[in-house]
Amino acid sequence: MIGVGGKIKQYSSVLDKPLSKGRQEVSLSAFAFLFSELVQYNQTQVDNIAELERRLEDAGYAVGARVLELFCHREKGNRRETRLLGILSFVHTTVWKVLFGKVADSLEKGTEHEDEYMISEKELLVNRFISIPKDMGTFNCGAFVAGIVRGVLDNAGFPAVVTAHFVPMEGQQRPRTTILIKFADEVLRREAKLV
Amino acid sequence: MAPVVPRSGDAVFANVERVNAELFTLTYGAIVRQLLTDLEEVEEVNKQLDQMGYNIGVRLIDEFLAKSNISRCVDFKETAEVIAKVGFKMFLGVTATVTNWDVEGTSCSLVLEDNPLVEFVELPDTCQGLYYCNILSGVIRGALEMVSMKTEVTWVRDMLHGDDAYELRVKLIKQVPEEYPYKDDE
Amino acid sequence: MAAIYNLFIINKSGGLIFYKDYGSAGRMDTNDSLRLASLWHSMHAISQQLSPTTGCFGIELLQADNFDLHCFQSLTGTKFFVVCEPGAQHMEGLLKVIYELYTDFVLKNPFYEMEMPIRCELFDIHLSQAIQKDRLVLLGR
Repeated sequence: MIGVGGKIKQYSSVLDKPLSKGRQEVSLSAFAFLFSELVQYNQTQVDNIAELERRLEDAGYAVGARVLELFCHREKGNRRETRLLGILSFVHTTVWKVLFGKVADSLEKGTEHEDEYMISEKELLVNRFISIPKDMGTFNCGAFVAGIVRGVLDNAGFPAVVTAHFVPMEGQQRPRTTILIKFADEVLRREAKLV
Repeated sequence: MAPVVPRSGDAVFANVERVNAELFTLTYGAIVRQLLTDLEEVEEVNKQLDQMGYNIGVRLIDEFLAKSNISRCVDFKETAEVIAKVGFKMFLGVTATVTNWDVEGTSCSLVLEDNPLVEFVELPDTCQGLYYCNILSGVIRGALEMVSMKTEVTWVRDMLHGDDAYELRVKLIKQVPEEYPYKDDE
Repeated sequence: MAAIYNLFIINKSGGLIFYKDYGSAGRMDTNDSLRLASLWHSMHAISQQLSPTTGCFGIELLQADNFDLHCFQSLTGTKFFVVCEPGAQHMEGLLKVIYELYTDFVLKNPFYEMEMPIRCELFDIHLSQAIQKDRLVLLGR
């Protein structure tokens, strides 16, 4: 939305409007209350924790798909990564920085499986104010972020299964969250041919 | 302790932690999309958005009071100004204008100069009846109810419906007295 | 020696939603804390009625010979109060900090149900830190 002399300029179509530069901000609280309500609403729609995870992931996926379009255009001059490490670094750096205000704490390759990568964050933004009740076990609201990551990867041609996990850290009171990315076989086969 | 001075909307917003508005906008879009899939009827989605806003409002009011140092408003006119200038600014980073008071001073319009919820949004033909920003009216209603004001909040103008601004009509229905209601069953 | 004996949070209907004691003095069991919370809720309301002038919002400080009780009530009706050593300083400030922690780690938690007892790990962690900090300030003087 572009303000002209304090008035909103009206466009006949959203497409006529100049693309936002992405520098506008809202308070973290506004986002936290909205996210909390997203989780609460979805809790009313499910019977178990696995379903809740899936629904949060779906909501995130829709965000990820749009984030890919928007950021490739705005941050990358209409270039999209076509290689595995390129797209992972795009997620870890560009996506994280624009959405969460910082680059993710780490991006690592799984030690046991060739097709696994992990993005870890000491304190995921969406989890900042959330305490998981004991009866919900290992549930992590980071499922929403896992969905964002899957949305970006899938729409860039890198289908993967993406999940969020709490990982206890030595000497830390709180566990960190790891977003585990397991790429589809076809992605690895294609990548192998490109070397 | 030094007397607590109410903070201006700009001062509060400058001091709170902020996030990129796009994360907020796209997350809200994801919520609306989920509701459209779950509920199918646009009218039901409007209701649910209002309900979700209400749920947020009853929680968010405490943060508003804690961080703005606002104390009791003398009347509804002051309340409306505070919502427009401090409330909207503190959470969404935008301010609203209060206009169109009725003679009794119990109903007014909040006109939004900017609205982060609708960036990237255009209503498709199938959703023409959708009040996309209906969550906002619920937030105001919920927040005011927690400080003893029953209100009715409705959309008058909506740019997604081709109007030239976003205008919310806020009507004070009744002010619940603050005394403790002593009930026998408590 | 601990300056604060215990902390209570009561909802707008007088139900105890959070209780914690610090140190060994003034510790009480669940029934006693519940009873005390509802008593305080009523006393606070009565104090408003007792006020000779209008616009009284209830007791803020109760001083006894061996303890002080500081109470903060938000405009939404939630009461936060601490029982502490007589003359303990900065309690209004501490209550304000606790109120802010409540808005962050309780009200923004999707798994917290309004008006119900508070069981939020992050609230506990940040609360301990705030109280710890308060003690350090006291020791430093």
